[in-house]
Amino acid sequence: MSGQGGQDAKFFQRGKIQEFRAELEAAESKDKKFTKRKTVLKKIVANITMGNDMSPLFTDVVQSLGTPLLEIKKMVYLFLVCYGRQKADQLHLVIPHFLQDCNDRNPLVRALAIRTMSYIPTPIVIEALTEQLRHCLKDRDPYVRKTAAICVAKLYTADPRKAEKGGFVEMLRDLLLDSNATVVANAVAALSEIGDRQDGVIFKLNLTVANKLLTALGESSEWGTIYILDSLLRYIPERHIDAEMMAERVIVQLNHANSAVVLTAIKVLLYLMNYMENRKLMEYICKKMGPPLVTLLSSGPEVQYVALRNILLIIQRRPSVLKNDVKVFFCKYNDPIYVKLAKLEIMYRLAREENAKEVLAELQEYASEVDVDFVRKAVRSIGRLAIKVQEAADSCIQALLDLMDTKVSYVVQEAVIVIKDVFRRYPGKYEGIIPKLCEHLDLLDEPESKAAVIWIIGQFANRIENADELMDDLTYTFLEEPTEVQLALLTAAVKLFIYKAHSDTTKALVHKVLKWATEDVDNPDLRDRGFMYWRMLAINPAVAGEIVLAEKPAITTDADRMDRGALDQLLLHTGTLGSIYHKNPETFIRNATGRALADSPALNPLSRQVLVPASRPNLPLPAIVVPGPGPQEISQSNGTNGSLVATGDPPEPTRNGSTGDVARRRSQESPSNEGDGDDDDDDEAPVSSRPAGGDPYAGLDSAFGGSYVADEPRPQNQDLLDLI
Amino acid sequence: MALDGLIILDTTGRPIVQSGFHSFPPAYPLLHIDAVNTALASAKRPSDVDPVIYVQGLNLESPSACCHMKRGELRYLCPVSGDVDPLYAFAFLQTFVDILHEYFGHLSAETLKDNFDIVYQLLEETLDSGGHPLTTSPNALRDIVLPPSLLHKVLSVAGVSGLASSTATSHPFASPIPWRKAGVRYNNNEIYFDVVETLEAIVNKNGTPAVSTVWGRVDSNCKLSGTPDLLLTFSNAQSLLDCSFHPCVRLQRWSRDKVLSFVPPDGKFKLMDYRYAPATASAVAQTSIPFMLRPTVQIDEHGGSVDLTLSSRLTTRSMENVFVELYLGDGASGASCTASHGASWSYSPKTQTLVWELKQIVPSANYNIRGTFSSTAEHPRPSRAFRVRFEVPQYNYSAIKIEQLKLTGEVYKPYKGMRGSSLGNIEWRW
Repeated sequence: MSGQGGQDAKFFQRGKIQEFRAELEAAESKDKKFTKRKTVLKKIVANITMGNDMSPLFTDVVQSLGTPLLEIKKMVYLFLVCYGRQKADQLHLVIPHFLQDCNDRNPLVRALAIRTMSYIPTPIVIEALTEQLRHCLKDRDPYVRKTAAICVAKLYTADPRKAEKGGFVEMLRDLLLDSNATVVANAVAALSEIGDRQDGVIFKLNLTVANKLLTALGESSEWGTIYILDSLLRYIPERHIDAEMMAERVIVQLNHANSAVVLTAIKVLLYLMNYMENRKLMEYICKKMGPPLVTLLSSGPEVQYVALRNILLIIQRRPSVLKNDVKVFFCKYNDPIYVKLAKLEIMYRLAREENAKEVLAELQEYASEVDVDFVRKAVRSIGRLAIKVQEAADSCIQALLDLMDTKVSYVVQEAVIVIKDVFRRYPGKYEGIIPKLCEHLDLLDEPESKAAVIWIIGQFANRIENADELMDDLTYTFLEEPTEVQLALLTAAVKLFIYKAHSDTTKALVHKVLKWATEDVDNPDLRDRGFMYWRMLAINPAVAGEIVLAEKPAITTDADRMDRGALDQLLLHTGTLGSIYHKNPETFIRNATGRALADSPALNPLSRQVLVPASRPNLPLPAIVVPGPGPQEISQSNGTNGSLVATGDPPEPTRNGSTGDVARRRSQESPSNEGDGDDDDDDEAPVSSRPAGGDPYAGLDSAFGGSYVADEPRPQNQDLLDLI
Repeated sequence: MALDGLIILDTTGRPIVQSGFHSFPPAYPLLHIDAVNTALASAKRPSDVDPVIYVQGLNLESPSACCHMKRGELRYLCPVSGDVDPLYAFAFLQTFVDILHEYFGHLSAETLKDNFDIVYQLLEETLDSGGHPLTTSPNALRDIVLPPSLLHKVLSVAGVSGLASSTATSHPFASPIPWRKAGVRYNNNEIYFDVVETLEAIVNKNGTPAVSTVWGRVDSNCKLSGTPDLLLTFSNAQSLLDCSFHPCVRLQRWSRDKVLSFVPPDGKFKLMDYRYAPATASAVAQTSIPFMLRPTVQIDEHGGSVDLTLSSRLTTRSMENVFVELYLGDGASGASCTASHGASWSYSPKTQTLVWELKQIVPSANYNIRGTFSSTAEHPRPSRAFRVRFEVPQYNYSAIKIEQLKLTGEVYKPYKGMRGSSLGNIEWRW
């Protein structure tokens, strides 16, 4: 078809208002087929799209509305949509035309008229629209009805109270039972849009309507399918069986060609699973969800990216999904970097004893690639793998040592950083490699890796023969180092002194460092810590030793998982921006309403236990948050993390009033009181770690973010670590 | 669940088409265009820019996101400010691009400008200003927006107006099936199926595949009259896994009987995607790679040498249009090679890639290329894998066949045709 296209490019010339006006006037006469008028209108529209102000032509262009030619009507309407609001005082000229078109014989014209009117939300147009919309919602033509449904949402945006008083919401509800699937889908879309507004009428589904909507799925367009599936989240199952039956009907949509349909279907299934008890069916659903997610990975990089970010969330909540598919996430050399990094994260999460060998082999391959960012992350993942899978630790350490032999600076630095954590995870097992680490001291030029190696030297000073020499070298540039390294040096010097209290060199060293830290440095943290150590050593060196070299809490990889309640809530946003940024939308989107699992008799007990209600202000948040979803589903949460320290801060009401109102409104709506569940469980539930402050998502960034630092497995109490 | 609009950028990053954005401040689309251009400019490779960009609003409190993708020479942007599924944005963008293709063929800034009135009509019909996708099925769209075909031009010259021709089909959306036009008539009733399978694999240093997957798709061109209801049976349907279908396919029926039951749209459409897994007892069965690569890569200071032998494992068929590529790393400055059998090689300074091109590889033959490359880097770091692309015409890994095509609802007997072809996209590590 190319080549036969129009030669309309000539219209893209800057035109003068006066000329157009003259041309329009000329087109009044001797223009039987309206070709002249069409030409000049095209020029005007072309100028609008170029961003030139054509509003002075308002009265002239509006004259053409009477022309019985759809093409011209469309262009005039486009003009009206652009300048209607600016020229609100002249809109009364147009209203009669609108009314006429609303009653045109051609359904396209009728639909076009109400659609255009809904785009110009000025009182006079809205008034006219309200009248016409009532007929159009009952028009015999489905095209008009489906357009009218969306117009109701527009009307609601312009004037909510008028729309409610006019009974339009009820009329939309009636359309849910329309015979045409597209009309149904658009009615759902409109109701959802209204329901998502903070001042909107609540849109909830009962079982009968939800089932009706499911029936319409078969005939809807792909977009309609998305609206309908998404609306199912507004249905709260009261019985397990309801959720299970519904899930069975949604499952087939996983075979849809449209990736957005697939992901929405997965979101619905994940939601419904919270209300099920049939474990067999749940396993079956998990098994069914894997392949479509994998299929998404055969699409373009954009779709892959979104899919990968969501997979990351899904496998944390439902680890059995994709359990055996780690190979799918092996990176290709020419994948875009954002795809590679996301795949790497998933590979790490899917790593288990059974596949650790394969995963390690891949990670080693990546560590020799070209892209620096990717290589660093790969090296770090090897260390994290060692921490996560004990059986693979030996080979991971060997791999890291091999990598250090390449003497590529950033590889060595990453390796040193992770090895520090490996020491923490397996005390007394790998210290034999310390001499090897010390060989590469000169390659370290980044604060983080330097601090890591200094920590190692200080901590194991009793096993390193020349620890005092090494420290002496390292402290040589003390005053030029960044704070991070200075802090590490200070602590290491103190540890060294405690180990080798009788050596003169160490005595001189610690004295020197303490003096620098307390006298020559501006940083208050460093100074305070310097004074603290100094006093401790002065008063009682033995006790100082016990404190500084106290046994450290065991390091685990659980900390970098999200807590279950937050996950449940985030998964309600599967596929949406929230799942890309791994944040709840109300925290970064204005006017967004949060979604929360609603309690019902069918809600699975553990989900209820970790229920995070949609941002409720002024109420203490439930004190129970289970660390990490873990593969164990049933009340295994107790005591998995004995060493955790509960943070005792009182939760702060962080939400402002407006979102709070909604939340309150919503929680009142739900059939049983969410609060009850929380209170009941308070006593038995283990009090475990909870991100500080009132925001249960505060910890999410560190659990996920793109930065390397964030991935680091860390002990639960950071302050303690800094001191030691 | 609403998209804010759509913007199309030309090669230089300037907008050529954009939807209304009426409920947004005028600066809103500009912010997004700016954000994308800035991100592209600051990235090392344009393909490394996140497809979902966070866009800070003018007044700090209204951030939004911009989903963007590049197809052909144009870049398509879809700003979203609500909590919207980015896949929804990407799916819509892809659909819109497909529609533009359908209407204009090759897409460039020029074709869009030449047909801007049609582009705007399409935009109006596919995305309402509230951001809801409307009509995207090509069959229904053709009723309300006339394609710029010769016929249309002739009609308009002859004075048959757009209004007249659309009243000719009188009731758009009259068809009870959203994807199929009502009242289609053909003299010869035919339907064609194109099966294209792509082997995607990563091969380890020792020559064993780490991953290998066959992705298949069935494209169809349907020229059948009336409302045909088809029942399509494949000979080996059980080895087609993870299928995804055009909305016309009755999903329940497939999950029950593994047959495709559908009323097809008129014209060209993609019937299904699938993954093929050989139906063997072992769960780890993988499709084997149809060739062997024996690479030797030596890296010296400021350069290195490559010696590469490729032998076909196919016994009866030949591979065609085989490309073997190696990225030589930052600083690569040139290469010089000799290839056997008169095959050609080239070095592209722009992408710093060595390309070995073989028009045809006959069964069980060996091909060789050897040579050296130079680099300004002291220790060149070429990529750790060769990228091999190839085609095998008239062949399918899955050996998929149409067993039967039954038609109900109409009286004629359709002619059916099927054509297969296979592609490969392999990464071979050395």
